[in-house]
Amino acid sequence: MRDIIVFSGSSNPELTDRICRNLGLPPGKVELKKFANGETSVHFGDSVREKDVFIVQSGAGHVNDLFMQLLIMISACKMASAKKITVVCPLFFYSRQVESQASKRGVPRGAQHRGSKVPDSVPQSPKLPSRANVRDPSPKSVLSQRAVSTHSSLKTLHTNEASIANPTGYRSWIAQSGTLIANLLTSAGANHIITMDLHDAQFQGFFDIPVDNLLSKPLFQHYITNYVPNYKDCVIVSPDAGGAKRAAALADTLCMPFALIHKERRQKVDTAQAQSELMVHSNPSTSSLNSISFATPGFPGRRSPSSASNGHSAADQQYVATTMLVGDVQDKVCVVVDDLADTCNTITRAASLLKDQGAKYVYALITHGIFSGDAMRKLKESQIDKIITTNSVDQAAHVAELDAKEMVILDVSRILSEAIRRINNGESVSMLYDHGW
Amino acid sequence: MSLQKPPNSIKIIAGNSHPRLAEQIAGYLNLQIADIHVIDFTNRESAVLVKESIRDEDVYIIQTGCGGPEKLNDHLMELLFMIHACKAASARKITAVVPNFPYARQDRKDKSRVAISAKLVANLLVTAGCHHVITMDLHASQIQGFFNIPVDNLYAEPEVLKYVKLKLGNRDIIMVSPDAGGAKRVASLSDKLDTPFALIHKERAKANEVSRMVLVGDVEGKVCVLIDDMADTCGTLCKASDLLLERGARSVIAIVTHGIFSGQGLARINQGSLEKIVCTNSMPLSSMAEACGKLEIIDISPTLAEAIRRLHNGESVSYLFNNAV
Repeated sequence: MRDIIVFSGSSNPELTDRICRNLGLPPGKVELKKFANGETSVHFGDSVREKDVFIVQSGAGHVNDLFMQLLIMISACKMASAKKITVVCPLFFYSRQVESQASKRGVPRGAQHRGSKVPDSVPQSPKLPSRANVRDPSPKSVLSQRAVSTHSSLKTLHTNEASIANPTGYRSWIAQSGTLIANLLTSAGANHIITMDLHDAQFQGFFDIPVDNLLSKPLFQHYITNYVPNYKDCVIVSPDAGGAKRAAALADTLCMPFALIHKERRQKVDTAQAQSELMVHSNPSTSSLNSISFATPGFPGRRSPSSASNGHSAADQQYVATTMLVGDVQDKVCVVVDDLADTCNTITRAASLLKDQGAKYVYALITHGIFSGDAMRKLKESQIDKIITTNSVDQAAHVAELDAKEMVILDVSRILSEAIRRINNGESVSMLYDHGW
Repeated sequence: MSLQKPPNSIKIIAGNSHPRLAEQIAGYLNLQIADIHVIDFTNRESAVLVKESIRDEDVYIIQTGCGGPEKLNDHLMELLFMIHACKAASARKITAVVPNFPYARQDRKDKSRVAISAKLVANLLVTAGCHHVITMDLHASQIQGFFNIPVDNLYAEPEVLKYVKLKLGNRDIIMVSPDAGGAKRVASLSDKLDTPFALIHKERAKANEVSRMVLVGDVEGKVCVLIDDMADTCGTLCKASDLLLERGARSVIAIVTHGIFSGQGLARINQGSLEKIVCTNSMPLSSMAEACGKLEIIDISPTLAEAIRRLHNGESVSYLFNNAV
């Protein structure tokens, strides 16, 4: 290996150690600390002059802090005359763009459910500090207000947004941060990005520098063929339409059957329809004509308007969540495949639906296990029998927490280190997409 | 006939770092704070929720560098997200009002292979889409040169002068600079107040640690006013105060612009020999600071608000360098 040095940010030093072991290199010496006032400081102990520098930092944990640390590390390398700076970001920062407050990127703080066993699918809007709160001199009151914001208060806010808060008719929106993140990395001095299973493939287009999006597919392929008994009889399931392509590709390669869970949010027409929020299409060929109303009490997707609304039923009238399973899973072993699990709403709900549809056993294959908020609790209580994720995010804490259920951690360091080796040598990376490591 | 842009108005956006200051500034300008908020998620990512149109408006984002190890970087990232959101929302001009500029002390390469983080932050702000920066008492005014956009570095000096004249005018005072770097700032003050001036020279072994101090000047029987741009861990101020009392000073008062008070800062002040410490409200105060009996606050929101008003109307800002509002 020539003129190469690998540094680790504080997000996932164990992964860096593994990468370095694979490459036969010692990890670069770097001192990462914070001053008393909270400013991050970085000092490299090894020379980087005219070297090919790789900085490993994963985007889970204290995201903003880690991102600033990454930017400062890049900037320090650039100032220290590094030849080329490559950011190795297995889970990319802010890779999930939110379209609405119905966020896939975790639940707004303080909006976790209490009481209900499995969460419902109605999107939540965050509790914002109201004007009265802002004016309050003590910042504590704002915090406590946020902390106690429950489901019902969120509902109120949702109604307010439509009617009271916006008399001008301005439709509130959430700013997309993808371009910003890309520009910040480039402006700090990054020359190349290596990432893995990017949530939006379009994210690559936000950069003006090369982005290598590695795939975890070979890793999962290897796991399924070797560790799932009679895998040819199992069904690959995509828990939402967004991941269908990814899951279908895996099913095609392994010649396995494929099923899809489709979630729809439709404008609610009347209250009678609310009683049958969840419809299950048992057979794709029968289409919606034969759809059966699903009414098992306590079923995750199902939520009667009276119990959840707490007197704010107006907000409840807005949307119906319809979940459909397309495909047959009766007496089958299901392998749910997704790129990212954060709050775990999607996969836990998918698992319950599959079990209700007669699935025998449910595996969940997730590339990036962020598991924020009360995700671990949801996983513990869920119908998932086995969780398989990778060490793209440090999983030590999660494994320790998940006692009853089995959790398997696959190692992505070999894919990453091979990519690093190939990029350093100027070889093609594309064989990693098919064969993996 | 030339087409003139229609007149636009000021929009004040409050970040999560110091909503109270934003309220005060908006109050001074007789404006409502715009309905644009930063929300954070359980996975610790942030996003900006825009609930009000700011198309073609002059946007001023109030966010100061504060929060300690837990929140400082969050606040900086929030600022970048807000700037970017305003850009996406087609604001005409985006101004970041950052009274305490974060990473201002990492402004040079004091050893090899460290980052000039102040320069990085400047680049990040410009990359995000910022058109103008208003800050106050930059640790080193050279940081203005890190930007390729206009930076207005306001001074707390007029407000400090006003405070000294009103509250300490009848006492036999001497202005003291706790380090050589602040000598110019203190000399300017003592010239305007016509008071004597002393200087403490310190030798640093490590960052945030002071090893040895030497006093230059006579403070015998006088009330010493220590002037500095920030009070962080307060090690310097407390040691300086001890030294001054040792040399016969009657009492010691400290006036600083940015009261950061991180780590053991406040505990040191409480136990130390300082009679009182005066700081501006450029930083939000913790409940602990509010409870500190030795702390007094100078309100600088009028200065910031006036700067915003002048900037919007295209008037000169330099009046504020010499006059309190």
